[in-house]
Amino acid sequence: MTPMHFTFTSAFILSLLGLTIHRTSLLSALLCLEGMMLTLYIALTLWSVENSSSAYLMSPLILLAFSACEACTGLSLLIATTRTHGNNHLQNLNLLQC
Amino acid sequence: MNPLTLSIFIMSLGLGTTITFSSSHWLLAWMGLEINTLAITPLMIKQQHPRAVEATTKYFLTQAAASALLLFASMTNAWMTGQWSILEMENMTAITLITLALALKLGVAPMHFWLPEVLQGLDLKTGLILSTWQKLAPFIILIQMAPALNPNIMISLAIISTLIGGWGGLNQTQLRKILAYSSIAHLGWMIIILHYSPNIAMLNLVLYLVITSTIFLLFNLTNSTTINSISMTTTKNPIISILIMMTLLSLGGLPPLTGFMPKWLILQELAYQELFLVATIMAMTTLLSLFFYLRLTYSTTLTMTPNSMNMMSSWLTKKNLKPIIPLLFPLTTMLLPLTPMLYFSLQ
Repeated sequence: MTPMHFTFTSAFILSLLGLTIHRTSLLSALLCLEGMMLTLYIALTLWSVENSSSAYLMSPLILLAFSACEACTGLSLLIATTRTHGNNHLQNLNLLQC
Repeated sequence: MNPLTLSIFIMSLGLGTTITFSSSHWLLAWMGLEINTLAITPLMIKQQHPRAVEATTKYFLTQAAASALLLFASMTNAWMTGQWSILEMENMTAITLITLALALKLGVAPMHFWLPEVLQGLDLKTGLILSTWQKLAPFIILIQMAPALNPNIMISLAIISTLIGGWGGLNQTQLRKILAYSSIAHLGWMIIILHYSPNIAMLNLVLYLVITSTIFLLFNLTNSTTINSISMTTTKNPIISILIMMTLLSLGGLPPLTGFMPKWLILQELAYQELFLVATIMAMTTLLSLFFYLRLTYSTTLTMTPNSMNMMSSWLTKKNLKPIIPLLFPLTTMLLPLTPMLYFSLQ
Protein backbone atom coordinates (compact mmCIF):
# COMPACT_ATOMS: atom_id res chain seq x y z
CA MET A 1 0.00 0.00 0.00
CA THR A 2 1.66 3.21 -1.18
CA PRO A 3 1.37 6.44 0.88
CA MET A 4 -1.02 7.92 -1.70
CA HIS A 5 -3.24 4.87 -1.50
CA PHE A 6 -3.21 5.07 2.28
CA THR A 7 -4.08 8.77 2.20
CA PHE A 8 -7.15 8.52 0.03
CA THR A 9 -8.32 5.31 1.72
CA SER A 10 -8.23 6.93 5.14
CA ALA A 11 -9.90 10.09 3.82
CA PHE A 12 -12.71 8.03 2.30
CA ILE A 13 -13.16 5.95 5.45
CA LEU A 14 -13.28 9.11 7.60
CA SER A 15 -15.99 10.61 5.37
CA LEU A 16 -17.97 7.37 5.41
CA LEU A 17 -17.75 7.21 9.21
CA GLY A 18 -18.89 10.82 9.34
CA LEU A 19 -21.91 9.95 7.22
CA THR A 20 -22.85 6.89 9.24
CA ILE A 21 -22.06 7.92 12.80
CA HIS A 22 -22.52 11.69 12.98
CA ARG A 23 -26.25 11.86 12.23
CA THR A 24 -27.39 15.33 13.18
CA SER A 25 -28.26 17.44 10.19
CA LEU A 26 -28.87 16.62 6.55
CA LEU A 27 -26.39 19.26 5.42
CA SER A 28 -23.49 17.55 7.20
CA ALA A 29 -24.53 14.23 5.65
CA LEU A 30 -24.43 15.83 2.21
CA LEU A 31 -21.03 17.35 2.97
CA CYS A 32 -19.71 13.93 3.93
CA LEU A 33 -21.07 12.50 0.66
CA GLU A 34 -19.33 15.27 -1.24
CA GLY A 35 -16.12 14.54 0.65
CA MET A 36 -16.38 10.89 -0.40
CA MET A 37 -16.87 11.83 -4.04
CA LEU A 38 -13.97 14.31 -4.02
CA THR A 39 -11.70 11.67 -2.49
CA LEU A 40 -12.68 9.33 -5.28
CA TYR A 41 -11.96 12.08 -7.82
CA ILE A 42 -8.46 12.59 -6.43
CA ALA A 43 -7.86 8.85 -6.34
CA LEU A 44 -8.96 8.39 -9.96
CA THR A 45 -6.76 11.29 -11.12
CA LEU A 46 -3.76 9.94 -9.24
CA TRP A 47 -4.37 6.47 -10.68
CA SER A 48 -4.34 7.69 -14.24
CA VAL A 49 -1.24 9.82 -13.57
CA GLU A 50 0.57 6.97 -11.80
CA ASN A 51 -0.12 4.51 -14.59
CA SER A 52 0.50 7.26 -17.17
CA SER A 53 -2.51 6.07 -19.14
CA SER A 54 -3.73 9.01 -21.13
CA ALA A 55 -6.88 7.15 -22.12
CA TYR A 56 -8.13 7.44 -18.55
CA LEU A 57 -7.50 11.16 -18.17
CA MET A 58 -11.09 11.89 -19.19
CA SER A 59 -12.66 9.65 -16.54
CA PRO A 60 -12.06 11.93 -13.47
CA LEU A 61 -14.03 14.64 -15.24
CA ILE A 62 -16.93 12.26 -15.84
CA LEU A 63 -16.83 11.32 -12.16
CA LEU A 64 -16.77 14.99 -11.17
CA ALA A 65 -19.76 15.73 -13.40
CA PHE A 66 -21.78 12.91 -11.85
CA SER A 67 -20.85 13.95 -8.32
CA ALA A 68 -21.92 17.51 -9.14
CA CYS A 69 -25.30 16.18 -10.31
CA GLU A 70 -25.56 14.14 -7.14
CA ALA A 71 -24.72 17.12 -4.91
CA CYS A 72 -27.30 19.18 -6.78
CA THR A 73 -29.98 16.53 -6.18
CA GLY A 74 -28.96 16.37 -2.54
CA LEU A 75 -29.29 20.12 -2.10
CA SER A 76 -32.73 20.11 -3.74
CA LEU A 77 -33.76 17.36 -1.34
CA LEU A 78 -32.40 19.51 1.50
CA ILE A 79 -34.68 22.36 0.39
CA ALA A 80 -37.67 20.02 0.02
CA THR A 81 -37.07 18.55 3.47
CA THR A 82 -36.77 22.00 5.02
CA ARG A 83 -40.04 23.07 3.40
CA THR A 84 -41.99 20.02 4.54
CA HIS A 85 -40.42 19.23 7.91
CA GLY A 86 -39.50 22.69 9.19
CA ASN A 87 -35.78 22.07 9.63
CA ASN A 88 -33.14 19.76 8.32
CA HIS A 89 -32.37 17.63 11.36
CA LEU A 90 -32.22 13.94 10.61
CA GLN A 91 -34.16 13.11 13.77
CA ASN A 92 -37.19 14.79 12.23
CA LEU A 93 -37.36 12.23 9.44
CA ASN A 94 -39.48 9.84 11.48
CA LEU A 95 -42.89 9.84 9.78
CA LEU A 96 -42.49 6.43 8.20
CA GLN A 97 -41.28 4.36 11.12
CA CYS A 98 -43.61 1.89 12.76
CA MET B 1 -46.00 15.98 -13.75
CA ASN B 2 -45.43 17.27 -17.24
CA PRO B 3 -45.60 14.32 -19.71
CA LEU B 4 -42.41 15.43 -21.45
CA THR B 5 -40.49 15.55 -18.16
CA LEU B 6 -41.99 12.23 -17.11
CA SER B 7 -40.94 10.57 -20.36
CA ILE B 8 -37.40 11.96 -20.00
CA PHE B 9 -37.11 10.53 -16.48
CA ILE B 10 -38.51 7.16 -17.49
CA MET B 11 -36.21 6.95 -20.49
CA SER B 12 -33.15 7.79 -18.43
CA LEU B 13 -34.28 5.17 -15.91
CA GLY B 14 -34.14 2.67 -18.77
CA LEU B 15 -30.84 4.11 -19.96
CA GLY B 16 -29.15 3.68 -16.58
CA THR B 17 -30.10 0.02 -16.32
CA THR B 18 -29.07 -0.58 -19.93
CA ILE B 19 -25.65 1.01 -19.35
CA THR B 20 -25.08 -1.19 -16.31
CA PHE B 21 -26.23 -4.28 -18.23
CA SER B 22 -23.86 -3.71 -21.12
CA SER B 23 -20.75 -2.63 -19.24
CA SER B 24 -17.84 -4.70 -18.07
CA HIS B 25 -15.93 -1.69 -16.73
CA TRP B 26 -16.52 -0.57 -13.15
CA LEU B 27 -16.72 3.13 -13.96
CA LEU B 28 -19.44 2.58 -16.57
CA ALA B 29 -21.38 0.29 -14.26
CA TRP B 30 -21.19 2.96 -11.56
CA MET B 31 -22.40 5.58 -14.05
CA GLY B 32 -25.44 3.43 -14.86
CA LEU B 33 -26.28 3.04 -11.19
CA GLU B 34 -25.95 6.79 -10.63
CA ILE B 35 -28.20 7.57 -13.60
CA ASN B 36 -30.77 5.15 -12.15
CA THR B 37 -30.71 6.85 -8.76
CA LEU B 38 -30.85 10.36 -10.17
CA ALA B 39 -33.70 9.47 -12.54
CA ILE B 40 -36.00 7.88 -9.98
CA THR B 41 -35.60 10.67 -7.41
CA PRO B 42 -38.00 13.13 -9.14
CA LEU B 43 -40.48 10.32 -9.76
CA MET B 44 -40.50 9.52 -6.05
CA ILE B 45 -40.83 13.10 -4.84
CA LYS B 46 -43.50 14.21 -7.31
CA GLN B 47 -46.36 14.15 -4.79
CA GLN B 48 -44.69 16.79 -2.57
CA HIS B 49 -46.12 15.11 0.51
CA PRO B 50 -43.92 15.06 3.65
CA ARG B 51 -43.88 11.27 3.57
CA ALA B 52 -42.76 11.21 -0.07
CA VAL B 53 -40.03 13.80 0.62
CA GLU B 54 -38.77 11.84 3.59
CA ALA B 55 -38.74 8.57 1.65
CA THR B 56 -36.86 10.21 -1.20
CA THR B 57 -34.27 11.68 1.15
CA LYS B 58 -33.65 8.34 2.80
CA TYR B 59 -33.46 6.58 -0.55
CA PHE B 60 -31.05 9.16 -1.95
CA LEU B 61 -28.69 9.03 1.04
CA THR B 62 -28.45 5.23 1.07
CA GLN B 63 -28.07 4.90 -2.70
CA ALA B 64 -25.45 7.64 -2.93
CA ALA B 65 -23.43 6.14 -0.07
CA ALA B 66 -23.70 2.66 -1.61
CA SER B 67 -22.55 3.74 -5.05
CA ALA B 68 -19.67 5.76 -3.57
CA LEU B 69 -18.63 2.66 -1.62
CA LEU B 70 -18.87 0.59 -4.82
CA LEU B 71 -16.63 2.97 -6.71
CA PHE B 72 -14.19 3.11 -3.80
CA ALA B 73 -13.92 -0.68 -3.74
CA SER B 74 -13.34 -0.89 -7.48
CA MET B 75 -10.77 1.92 -7.15
CA THR B 76 -8.97 -0.14 -4.51
CA ASN B 77 -9.02 -3.07 -6.90
CA ALA B 78 -7.61 -0.87 -9.66
CA TRP B 79 -4.81 0.44 -7.44
CA MET B 80 -3.90 -3.09 -6.37
CA THR B 81 -4.20 -4.95 -9.66
CA GLY B 82 -4.28 -2.19 -12.27
CA GLN B 83 -7.48 -3.21 -14.03
CA TRP B 84 -11.11 -2.17 -14.02
CA SER B 85 -12.86 -5.26 -15.36
CA ILE B 86 -15.93 -6.55 -13.50
CA LEU B 87 -15.34 -10.11 -14.62
CA GLU B 88 -11.81 -10.51 -13.26
CA MET B 89 -11.86 -9.45 -9.63
CA GLU B 90 -9.02 -10.75 -7.49
CA ASN B 91 -8.64 -8.53 -4.44
CA MET B 92 -10.64 -10.04 -1.56
CA THR B 93 -11.11 -6.70 0.26
CA ALA B 94 -12.58 -5.15 -2.86
CA ILE B 95 -14.89 -8.13 -3.46
CA THR B 96 -16.21 -8.00 0.10
CA LEU B 97 -16.75 -4.24 -0.03
CA ILE B 98 -18.55 -4.52 -3.38
CA THR B 99 -20.76 -7.30 -2.04
CA LEU B 100 -21.75 -5.13 0.91
CA ALA B 101 -22.32 -2.06 -1.27
CA LEU B 102 -24.56 -3.95 -3.68
CA ALA B 103 -26.41 -5.54 -0.75
CA LEU B 104 -27.05 -2.02 0.57
CA LYS B 105 -28.33 -0.99 -2.85
CA LEU B 106 -30.64 -3.99 -3.11
CA GLY B 107 -31.78 -3.97 0.51
CA VAL B 108 -30.39 -7.34 1.62
CA ALA B 109 -30.82 -8.00 5.30
CA PRO B 110 -28.27 -6.39 7.59
CA MET B 111 -28.52 -3.30 5.35
CA HIS B 112 -32.27 -3.48 4.81
CA PHE B 113 -33.55 -0.81 7.18
CA TRP B 114 -34.24 1.78 4.50
CA LEU B 115 -36.38 -0.43 2.27
CA PRO B 116 -39.67 -0.72 4.25
CA GLU B 117 -39.66 2.97 5.15
CA VAL B 118 -38.93 4.13 1.63
CA LEU B 119 -41.55 1.86 0.11
CA GLN B 120 -44.11 3.01 2.68
CA GLY B 121 -43.67 6.62 1.62
CA LEU B 122 -44.37 6.06 -2.08
CA ASP B 123 -47.49 5.43 -4.09
CA LEU B 124 -47.98 1.97 -5.53
CA LYS B 125 -46.83 2.72 -9.08
CA THR B 126 -43.51 4.22 -7.98
CA GLY B 127 -43.21 1.41 -5.46
CA LEU B 128 -43.58 -1.01 -8.36
CA ILE B 129 -40.68 0.64 -10.18
CA LEU B 130 -38.60 0.72 -7.00
CA SER B 131 -39.08 -2.92 -6.13
CA THR B 132 -38.76 -4.33 -9.64
CA TRP B 133 -36.78 -2.22 -12.09
CA GLN B 134 -34.34 -0.79 -9.56
CA LYS B 135 -33.32 -4.28 -8.44
CA LEU B 136 -32.11 -5.24 -11.91
CA ALA B 137 -28.94 -3.17 -12.25
CA PRO B 138 -27.24 -4.09 -8.93
CA PHE B 139 -28.25 -7.71 -9.33
CA ILE B 140 -26.73 -7.92 -12.81
CA ILE B 141 -23.39 -6.73 -11.42
CA LEU B 142 -23.63 -9.40 -8.73
CA ILE B 143 -24.33 -12.04 -11.39
CA GLN B 144 -21.38 -10.87 -13.49
CA MET B 145 -18.98 -11.27 -10.58
CA ALA B 146 -20.67 -14.41 -9.22
CA PRO B 147 -17.69 -16.82 -9.50
CA ALA B 148 -15.49 -14.48 -7.46
CA LEU B 149 -17.93 -13.98 -4.60
CA ASN B 150 -17.17 -15.37 -1.19
CA PRO B 151 -19.71 -18.17 -0.52
CA ASN B 152 -19.63 -17.80 3.27
CA ILE B 153 -20.59 -14.12 3.13
CA MET B 154 -23.36 -14.83 0.63
CA ILE B 155 -24.81 -17.68 2.71
CA SER B 156 -24.83 -15.62 5.91
CA LEU B 157 -26.39 -12.61 4.13
CA ALA B 158 -29.03 -14.90 2.61
CA ILE B 159 -29.99 -16.62 5.84
CA ILE B 160 -30.25 -13.31 7.71
CA SER B 161 -32.33 -11.94 4.82
CA THR B 162 -34.92 -14.68 4.78
CA LEU B 163 -35.12 -14.66 8.56
CA ILE B 164 -35.56 -10.89 8.87
CA GLY B 165 -37.82 -10.72 5.82
CA GLY B 166 -40.15 -13.23 7.43
CA TRP B 167 -39.86 -11.89 10.94
CA GLY B 168 -40.29 -8.22 10.14
CA GLY B 169 -43.41 -8.74 8.10
CA LEU B 170 -45.26 -10.52 10.89
CA ASN B 171 -46.10 -7.37 12.82
CA GLN B 172 -47.12 -5.15 9.90
CA THR B 173 -50.55 -4.04 8.81
CA GLN B 174 -49.41 -1.87 5.92
CA LEU B 175 -49.33 -3.69 2.59
CA ARG B 176 -46.35 -1.78 1.24
CA LYS B 177 -44.22 -2.65 4.27
CA ILE B 178 -45.28 -6.29 3.96
CA LEU B 179 -44.26 -6.24 0.30
CA ALA B 180 -40.92 -4.68 1.26
CA TYR B 181 -40.24 -7.47 3.75
CA SER B 182 -41.30 -10.03 1.16
CA SER B 183 -38.80 -8.45 -1.21
CA ILE B 184 -36.07 -8.83 1.43
CA ALA B 185 -36.93 -12.52 1.91
CA HIS B 186 -36.94 -13.21 -1.84
CA LEU B 187 -33.58 -11.46 -2.23
CA GLY B 188 -32.24 -13.87 0.37
CA TRP B 189 -33.31 -16.79 -1.82
CA MET B 190 -31.69 -15.18 -4.85
CA ILE B 191 -28.31 -14.49 -3.31
CA ILE B 192 -27.92 -17.85 -1.63
CA ILE B 193 -27.73 -19.58 -5.00
CA LEU B 194 -25.73 -16.83 -6.69
CA HIS B 195 -22.31 -18.37 -6.20
CA TYR B 196 -23.34 -21.93 -7.07
CA SER B 197 -25.66 -21.39 -10.01
CA PRO B 198 -26.12 -17.84 -11.32
CA ASN B 199 -28.67 -19.04 -13.88
CA ILE B 200 -31.11 -20.18 -11.22
CA ALA B 201 -30.63 -16.86 -9.45
CA MET B 202 -31.50 -15.09 -12.69
CA LEU B 203 -34.60 -17.27 -13.16
CA ASN B 204 -35.64 -16.50 -9.59
CA LEU B 205 -35.16 -12.77 -10.20
CA VAL B 206 -37.33 -12.83 -13.34
CA LEU B 207 -40.11 -14.80 -11.67
CA TYR B 208 -39.98 -12.53 -8.61
CA LEU B 209 -40.28 -9.47 -10.87
CA VAL B 210 -43.34 -10.96 -12.62
CA ILE B 211 -45.13 -11.93 -9.40
CA THR B 212 -44.35 -8.64 -7.65
CA SER B 213 -45.53 -6.63 -10.66
CA THR B 214 -48.81 -8.53 -10.60
CA ILE B 215 -49.40 -7.97 -6.90
CA PHE B 216 -48.50 -4.27 -7.07
CA LEU B 217 -50.79 -3.73 -10.08
CA LEU B 218 -53.65 -5.55 -8.36
CA PHE B 219 -53.26 -3.49 -5.19
CA ASN B 220 -53.11 -0.38 -7.34
CA LEU B 221 -56.30 -1.45 -9.10
CA THR B 222 -58.17 -1.78 -5.81
CA ASN B 223 -56.47 1.26 -4.21
CA SER B 224 -55.59 -0.75 -1.14
CA THR B 225 -52.69 0.03 1.17
CA THR B 226 -53.68 -1.65 4.43
CA ILE B 227 -55.03 -5.06 5.42
CA ASN B 228 -58.32 -3.39 6.31
CA SER B 229 -58.72 -2.01 2.85
CA ILE B 230 -58.00 -5.26 1.02
CA SER B 231 -60.66 -6.95 3.10
CA MET B 232 -63.15 -4.74 1.25
CA THR B 233 -62.08 -6.20 -2.10
CA THR B 234 -64.58 -9.06 -2.06
CA THR B 235 -67.52 -6.72 -1.87
CA LYS B 236 -66.13 -4.43 -4.52
CA ASN B 237 -64.91 -6.96 -7.03
CA PRO B 238 -64.93 -10.71 -6.25
CA ILE B 239 -62.80 -11.71 -9.23
CA ILE B 240 -60.02 -9.33 -8.26
CA SER B 241 -60.02 -10.81 -4.76
CA ILE B 242 -59.50 -14.30 -6.26
CA LEU B 243 -56.63 -12.93 -8.36
CA ILE B 244 -55.05 -11.34 -5.27
CA MET B 245 -55.35 -14.62 -3.39
CA MET B 246 -53.65 -16.66 -6.13
CA THR B 247 -50.88 -14.08 -6.56
CA LEU B 248 -50.19 -13.96 -2.81
CA LEU B 249 -49.98 -17.72 -2.61
CA SER B 250 -47.64 -17.76 -5.59
CA LEU B 251 -45.48 -15.13 -3.86
CA GLY B 252 -45.38 -17.39 -0.83
CA GLY B 253 -44.27 -20.34 -2.97
CA LEU B 254 -47.07 -22.86 -2.64
CA PRO B 255 -46.65 -25.84 -5.00
CA PRO B 256 -49.11 -25.67 -7.88
CA LEU B 257 -48.18 -22.05 -8.59
CA THR B 258 -45.17 -20.42 -10.23
CA GLY B 259 -43.53 -19.22 -7.02
CA PHE B 260 -42.74 -22.77 -6.06
CA MET B 261 -40.42 -23.30 -9.03
CA PRO B 262 -37.43 -21.18 -7.93
CA LYS B 263 -37.60 -22.49 -4.36
CA TRP B 264 -37.66 -26.07 -5.65
CA LEU B 265 -34.69 -25.54 -7.97
CA ILE B 266 -32.70 -23.69 -5.30
CA LEU B 267 -33.28 -26.36 -2.68
CA GLN B 268 -32.27 -29.02 -5.20
CA GLU B 269 -29.07 -27.16 -6.10
CA LEU B 270 -28.21 -26.62 -2.43
CA ALA B 271 -28.68 -30.33 -1.86
CA TYR B 272 -26.32 -31.06 -4.78
CA GLN B 273 -23.75 -28.81 -3.11
CA GLU B 274 -24.24 -30.82 0.12
CA LEU B 275 -25.43 -27.80 2.08
CA PHE B 276 -28.24 -29.69 3.80
CA LEU B 277 -28.31 -27.58 6.95
CA VAL B 278 -28.47 -24.34 4.95
CA ALA B 279 -31.28 -25.71 2.78
CA THR B 280 -33.24 -26.73 5.87
CA ILE B 281 -32.81 -23.32 7.49
CA MET B 282 -33.90 -21.55 4.31
CA ALA B 283 -37.01 -23.71 3.97
CA MET B 284 -37.89 -23.19 7.64
CA THR B 285 -37.45 -19.41 7.63
CA THR B 286 -39.67 -19.11 4.56
CA LEU B 287 -42.52 -20.46 6.66
CA LEU B 288 -42.46 -17.13 8.50
CA SER B 289 -43.05 -15.30 5.21
CA LEU B 290 -45.74 -17.79 4.29
CA PHE B 291 -47.57 -16.93 7.49
CA PHE B 292 -48.14 -13.30 6.60
CA TYR B 293 -49.04 -14.12 3.01
CA LEU B 294 -51.64 -16.53 4.37
CA ARG B 295 -52.91 -13.85 6.74
CA LEU B 296 -53.37 -11.48 3.80
CA THR B 297 -55.14 -14.26 1.89
CA TYR B 298 -57.39 -14.91 4.84
CA SER B 299 -58.51 -11.31 5.15
CA THR B 300 -58.89 -10.96 1.38
CA THR B 301 -60.98 -13.95 0.47
CA LEU B 302 -61.83 -16.21 3.37
CA THR B 303 -63.57 -13.69 5.59
CA MET B 304 -67.18 -12.97 4.73
CA THR B 305 -68.42 -9.61 3.60
CA PRO B 306 -67.95 -7.23 6.49
CA ASN B 307 -71.16 -5.81 7.83
CA SER B 308 -69.67 -3.53 10.44
CA MET B 309 -66.15 -2.55 9.56
CA ASN B 310 -64.18 -0.17 11.72
CA MET B 311 -63.32 1.93 8.73
CA MET B 312 -65.07 4.22 6.34
CA SER B 313 -65.85 2.45 3.11
CA SER B 314 -64.07 4.01 0.19
CA TRP B 315 -65.73 5.24 -2.96
CA LEU B 316 -66.66 2.59 -5.46
CA THR B 317 -64.89 4.11 -8.40
CA LYS B 318 -64.95 2.13 -11.60
CA LYS B 319 -61.44 1.33 -12.73
CA ASN B 320 -60.75 -0.46 -15.95
CA LEU B 321 -58.58 -3.54 -15.89
CA LYS B 322 -55.33 -2.69 -17.63
CA PRO B 323 -54.29 -5.28 -20.25
CA ILE B 324 -51.01 -5.85 -18.45
CA ILE B 325 -52.68 -7.73 -15.57
CA PRO B 326 -54.27 -10.46 -17.76
CA LEU B 327 -50.86 -10.76 -19.38
CA LEU B 328 -48.95 -11.15 -16.13
CA PHE B 329 -51.43 -13.26 -14.16
CA PRO B 330 -51.01 -16.54 -16.14
CA LEU B 331 -47.26 -16.15 -15.78
CA THR B 332 -47.75 -15.64 -12.05
CA THR B 333 -49.80 -18.77 -11.51
CA MET B 334 -49.36 -21.34 -14.25
CA LEU B 335 -45.65 -21.48 -15.06
CA LEU B 336 -44.81 -24.50 -12.92
CA PRO B 337 -45.40 -27.14 -15.68
CA LEU B 338 -42.73 -25.37 -17.73
CA THR B 339 -40.07 -26.08 -15.08
CA PRO B 340 -38.22 -28.83 -17.07
CA MET B 341 -37.99 -26.60 -20.13
CA LEU B 342 -36.73 -23.57 -18.19
CA TYR B 343 -34.36 -25.64 -16.05
CA PHE B 344 -32.73 -27.57 -18.88
CA SER B 345 -32.44 -24.53 -21.09
CA LEU B 346 -30.40 -22.96 -18.29
CA GLN B 347 -27.85 -25.74 -18.09
